[in-house]
Amino acid sequence: MRFTIFQESRVGKRRTNQDRVAYSYTRDALLLVLADGMGGHLYGEVAAQISVQFIAQSFQQEARPKVSDPVLFLSRVLSNAHHAILDYAFDKQLSDVPRTTIVACLVQEGVAHWAHAGDSRLYMIRKGKLAAQTRDHSRVQLMLDQGLLDAEAAAVHPGRNRIFSCLGGNHPPQIEFSRGVSLINGDVLAICSDGVWGPLDADTIVGTLADGRVMDAVPKLMNEAETLGGPQCDNMTLIAMTWHDDQQEDIPDTVSTRTMPADAYTTQMEGFGRSKRDQEDLSEDEIERAIREINAAIHKFK
Amino acid sequence: MATQQNCALPPGFLLDHYRVERQLSLGGFSIVYLAYDQDGTPVAIKEYLPNSLALRAEGEVTPHVTEAHQGAFRYGMKCFFEEGRALAKLVHPNVVRVLNFFRANGTVYMVMQFERGRTLHDYVQKNKGNVRERFIRGVFTRMLNGLREVHAHKLLHLDIKPSNIYLRADGTPVLLDFGAARQTLLSDTPILKPMYTPGFASPEQFNSRDALGPWSDIYSVGASMYACLAGSSPQRSDERVKHDTVVPATKAWAGQYSPHFLATIDWCLQLDPLKRPQSCFALQKVLAQRHREAPPQQKTWLEGLGSRLKTMIGRT
Repeated sequence: MRFTIFQESRVGKRRTNQDRVAYSYTRDALLLVLADGMGGHLYGEVAAQISVQFIAQSFQQEARPKVSDPVLFLSRVLSNAHHAILDYAFDKQLSDVPRTTIVACLVQEGVAHWAHAGDSRLYMIRKGKLAAQTRDHSRVQLMLDQGLLDAEAAAVHPGRNRIFSCLGGNHPPQIEFSRGVSLINGDVLAICSDGVWGPLDADTIVGTLADGRVMDAVPKLMNEAETLGGPQCDNMTLIAMTWHDDQQEDIPDTVSTRTMPADAYTTQMEGFGRSKRDQEDLSEDEIERAIREINAAIHKFK
Repeated sequence: MATQQNCALPPGFLLDHYRVERQLSLGGFSIVYLAYDQDGTPVAIKEYLPNSLALRAEGEVTPHVTEAHQGAFRYGMKCFFEEGRALAKLVHPNVVRVLNFFRANGTVYMVMQFERGRTLHDYVQKNKGNVRERFIRGVFTRMLNGLREVHAHKLLHLDIKPSNIYLRADGTPVLLDFGAARQTLLSDTPILKPMYTPGFASPEQFNSRDALGPWSDIYSVGASMYACLAGSSPQRSDERVKHDTVVPATKAWAGQYSPHFLATIDWCLQLDPLKRPQSCFALQKVLAQRHREAPPQQKTWLEGLGSRLKTMIGRT
């Protein structure tokens, strides 16, 4: 496998970053996963963290060096992540179950499968054109499908953030699976939270990612989304991967897994403590967390 | 740079569920109060309040932190948390116990067990020139039990001095003030300089902070023992490196204390970290020997066996 990958997450103008993103790969398989914890509900970022961490860990355990059945794998890990969130809420006796959107994409043997719940999106770009896109599990999308709204009205609809499927929450998630797509040289897969696709139109996203230079395209899109997001700017997270032929000459910054041992894996996770504000000083959440931690340690040894 | 002193919270102030009795001490980094909890149990509460970054004027409660200092103030808070984390894990009779940690008034507070007694510093000042060897050996051997526990948790105290060693009424020592612990993290922040007491800090604390280790705390232990005899700390180690004027304990108090004890102090005060005892245990072993003569010759294994048998018989 040979690919170029880049991920970035920014807190925007919010107090905390409730987005989580990670990728993980072995010699023969690559996993991308993104979760957008839902604000307005308790512990959205916890739900997102649990999901991303759980799915990435499952991948590391099962992809030796690939998983036996990609669709079954995605189905199982997403519903297990959902239950892990429910367990967490139960353990902590939370009055409401935390919720998060999810998109997970697995590439092995040159075929990509993805699954999602909620309104975080996956775009697949081939030869500069949008080849596939997830359908948001939102009421606005349903109204669009039924012809009750047009794209322009949908972009400003007051209920555009309402989603009917997610991990966590009180209802089992409705997970949507893609068919398997054979990747060809130059294909781009991009996954993002609504903080990125909200302010930008699809043409900008597709156009910027079209040439496959994700190292430049991702920060560029993030900058644009942040500018357009203005003072209310949501958390923004974008991960993009360009697929290359194994036979291709070395391209700078690409990852080649050909020389990896069969049981090794590499994981990059972004989220905790990586937003720009957190790097310099402590966020409110971190202070609260530190105090909780210290008190837990004190009482543990009492 | 001269900085103004912060005002302490007034007596009677209700802090979380503790009532402030009075201020115990005021440092550059914090204020310590004596307070009582709901059950009337006395506690020591340490308030994070760095002089150079936060200012509490007379009659105010929430300290004022300027926008420019916010970052550094929060960063210092991180170090305060480190101290809390360090102490929360330590449960040892010779290490001060943390009871609670909370947030109020725009800053953070650490509640510690209040220990009755006095500091070793006070004791030495009162009994100047008349501190017995047996006493010093006893205090430091037990204090080193606590320090061993600190080192076992991969922490360094880095501010050991007589005023941070507390003597309970029964004479057992308690190690206080872990404000300097882990301050290695701070070495490259100009605003919050590591705070240590010059005369007790090891030379590596001044110049090569990556060379810090248990031996650095050992130097401070040596300097503290030296201060028990001299009544004041030895010359600052950064000046000793340039021009050493410290009279070795073996010379200064020859005849008054056992040569073995004086040699131990000088051993700890070596400028070269490698020439000092390398662990608390090594130092403890030496301090625990209470004899005035030179150590006995190495016994043959048969004699050793004989004496060991004797002790076994003696026990039964």
